[in-house]
Amino acid sequence: MANVIVNRIIDFLKKYPPFSFLSSELLSQVAAEVDLIYFEKEEFLFQKGEPAKSYFFVVKEGAIKLTDDVSGKEETVEFCDEGDVFGVLALLGKRPYILNARANEPSLIIAVPVGIFEKILNENSQVSLYFASGFASGQVVVRSGLSQSQKVRNLLGRKSDENGLMLLSGQRTLQYSHPVVQCPVGTSVFTAVTKMSKASVGSIMVVDQNLHPKGIITDKDLRNRLIAKGLPYDTPVEKIMSHPVVTASKELEFSQVYLTMVKHRLHHLVFTEDGSPDSPLLGIISDHDILLSQGNSPAVLIKALQESEDIHEMAKLRNQAEGMLKYYLDNELAIDFIAGILTEINDTIIRRAIVLALTKHQPSFPEVQDLEFCFLGLGSEGRGEQLLRTDLDNALVYQDVPDKLEEKAQNFMHLISRDVMEVLFACGFHSCPAEMMANNPRWCQPLSQWKRYFSEWIREPDPQSLMMGTIFFDFRAVGGKQALADALTQHVYEEIHQEKVFLNFFAKNALLNPPPLGFFRNFMVEKSGKHAEKFDIKLRAMMPLADAARVLILSHQVVGINNTFKRYERLAELEPNQASLFRDAGKAYEIFMRIRALEGLATESSGRFIQPDSLGKLQRQLLKNAFFPIEEIQKILKVRFQLDYFGN
Amino acid sequence: MDWKKFFGFASLPKPDFIRAYEKSMERKFPKGKPLSEVEFLVLDTETTGLTIKKDHVLSYGSVLVIDNRIKISNSREFYLKPKKRNREAIKVHGLVQERPYVSRERLIRTFLEDARQKVLVGHHLGFDLAMLERVGKSMGLRKIKNPGLDTYDLAVRLDRGRYYDPHTVPAKEYSLDRLCERYAIALDDRHTAAGDALLTAQLLVKLLKVAEAKGIKTYGDLLG
Repeated sequence: MANVIVNRIIDFLKKYPPFSFLSSELLSQVAAEVDLIYFEKEEFLFQKGEPAKSYFFVVKEGAIKLTDDVSGKEETVEFCDEGDVFGVLALLGKRPYILNARANEPSLIIAVPVGIFEKILNENSQVSLYFASGFASGQVVVRSGLSQSQKVRNLLGRKSDENGLMLLSGQRTLQYSHPVVQCPVGTSVFTAVTKMSKASVGSIMVVDQNLHPKGIITDKDLRNRLIAKGLPYDTPVEKIMSHPVVTASKELEFSQVYLTMVKHRLHHLVFTEDGSPDSPLLGIISDHDILLSQGNSPAVLIKALQESEDIHEMAKLRNQAEGMLKYYLDNELAIDFIAGILTEINDTIIRRAIVLALTKHQPSFPEVQDLEFCFLGLGSEGRGEQLLRTDLDNALVYQDVPDKLEEKAQNFMHLISRDVMEVLFACGFHSCPAEMMANNPRWCQPLSQWKRYFSEWIREPDPQSLMMGTIFFDFRAVGGKQALADALTQHVYEEIHQEKVFLNFFAKNALLNPPPLGFFRNFMVEKSGKHAEKFDIKLRAMMPLADAARVLILSHQVVGINNTFKRYERLAELEPNQASLFRDAGKAYEIFMRIRALEGLATESSGRFIQPDSLGKLQRQLLKNAFFPIEEIQKILKVRFQLDYFGN
Repeated sequence: MDWKKFFGFASLPKPDFIRAYEKSMERKFPKGKPLSEVEFLVLDTETTGLTIKKDHVLSYGSVLVIDNRIKISNSREFYLKPKKRNREAIKVHGLVQERPYVSRERLIRTFLEDARQKVLVGHHLGFDLAMLERVGKSMGLRKIKNPGLDTYDLAVRLDRGRYYDPHTVPAKEYSLDRLCERYAIALDDRHTAAGDALLTAQLLVKLLKVAEAKGIKTYGDLLG
């Protein structure tokens, strides 16, 4: 039986991975074999190049810094605090140490004999995954390690002390109805309705002789297209069916299906053998099925928003979406899916607000009432990454008008912007402190003025212009005339093509925020070894990645991809030799988005500032591993845009 | 005390383990031995009270320290069955915990085996050793002959130098609690013998680091 002394070790170790994965029996065996070693400040535990010892270490009290000798200077690579595991090379491969370890303060260290752990490593898959994926400190994380460690984090399961960080949804199985109630082309409506009635369903598929889906008839179609029109019951079904149908492959993940339906506002999605409409019908899923499977459907929310006339009701619906966001995060749905849904909801609010505003103000501006305009999302809104109702960044561009109408047009557009913003504020979004919003007259301008703005930023890339660039270059058409936004994009690329040096400035600007090193207790640790109290996940982790993605995507002249993670996906395709790094960067960005959203929901804040000690061990390590691609990406920018030689 | 029984036992030949212990203690520690090679057995006892003649050992805990390492694998915790169950105490503490009790002989035998060639360490070590001698007396243990290091004395000495007037020492400042606080040792499991032994061991390694910085580098420097 374990004595009080061993129990104290057990009580300590069981709080931390990988020991938390051990059975209590195994853990007592391990705990009974350890040594406690005390180290004075600055004392070495081991030095780089020394052969691996026969034990690895866990910090019990105090702190250890892992350092590297870089051109004669000792540089801190990582800090280990209570519960951190390090010196694991002794366990894995028995190679000489690649870093120094020395006490940063008086420290009590648990030395775990390798012998007893080797067996565990072989038998416990969670423990071996923990080590294999670089969760221990001081392990060099190989590039491909990030997606791996993300997967592993999933496999290691949730611990209550992990603050509910969950990653990646597993594939959810789809329950679609099959066999589908169907009838061939040429069938009379009467026969079709008899079939529907017998099966007591609200819709019937129309198929051709090859069983390829041609259309669908719903109760609504019967009402609107048959009875209301006074057509006879022997009308052939193809006359009143809705077509073409949107088809998908049954291999599609639940989240993708969902997103497709939300985006296309579909009530039904049809599955075929190969996913195309020219392939045999397999099954059908309705938004109602989804509603049932989800309990809370964005399709329903979006529909309600589209029909809403009342600002208070819209606000209520938007609050509901927040609950949905939490549900998605809790259920580990993929971030691109979550961001897609939330963006669609936010966009719907804006589009609806525009409709309401137009209805209200058009009568007062008869000369310009048909003016074309486009509401632009900027910043995270423009990138389609705004999960929380944080600060709004947006703008409005309208078509150029003859001088005599300019004042009218401006007034009209300003009122529209103002009303849209009022709806957004009522829905819980925050005002942009720098007032980069459509209701600011400066950012509610005709296309020619917008072109001038962008030309100015591109031709005179001073710090102010570059700051504007990081926000405005991510513009995206949210509502109104897409062509206006496209014209602006076209202009931007033409200007950049002429002023190539702009991208160098832009790239340099993307390096303003070096990635943090890691965490140490409730501090974030900087490269310089300094500590900062709170971790600004937006400034220190997300912005460097978003900025770099923007520059790189501009340099490839890619149009229409605004999501940072999608940009990295595209970059991986464009540059196969850097593909793994770009994919890791995208993954890292998703990790940051998720953690920020969870933090924001938990603390009812923007989620931007994270208290490092509120993170669990695995979560810290995951975040820390996610910092690696930032540095690598910044190195690429440095080389590609020759920033070391580029004027300061 | 049962005098008859006592004399009866005393006349018996000493058990092997006591003889082996006594023999092992004939070899003296070389004074020049570096501290990193000295092996320390850090121990503590929990007793029914503070009167050596009257009170009994309830439990014993120890842990080995070699070269600044506290060897958890060599930790001990033993409970002796109290001779008279102190019902009042049980009422007060509200716990009637069934312990895996060991015999007095097992305790003394293990202790003496562990103690061979070790420097014994305790906080107010003299009291613990006296209590252990009392347990061992009936088995023929006359004296625990190991060199001893009292963490109380060491702590005072490190503050006040080698020659100090014991009467001027504010004893309260050097209680195990206060010293742990001062040396930043987390106090849990206080007042179980094994728990206190582990605290004392942590105190020892910290004190030895201070001692080393002050030029105390060998066994001779420490105990001479």
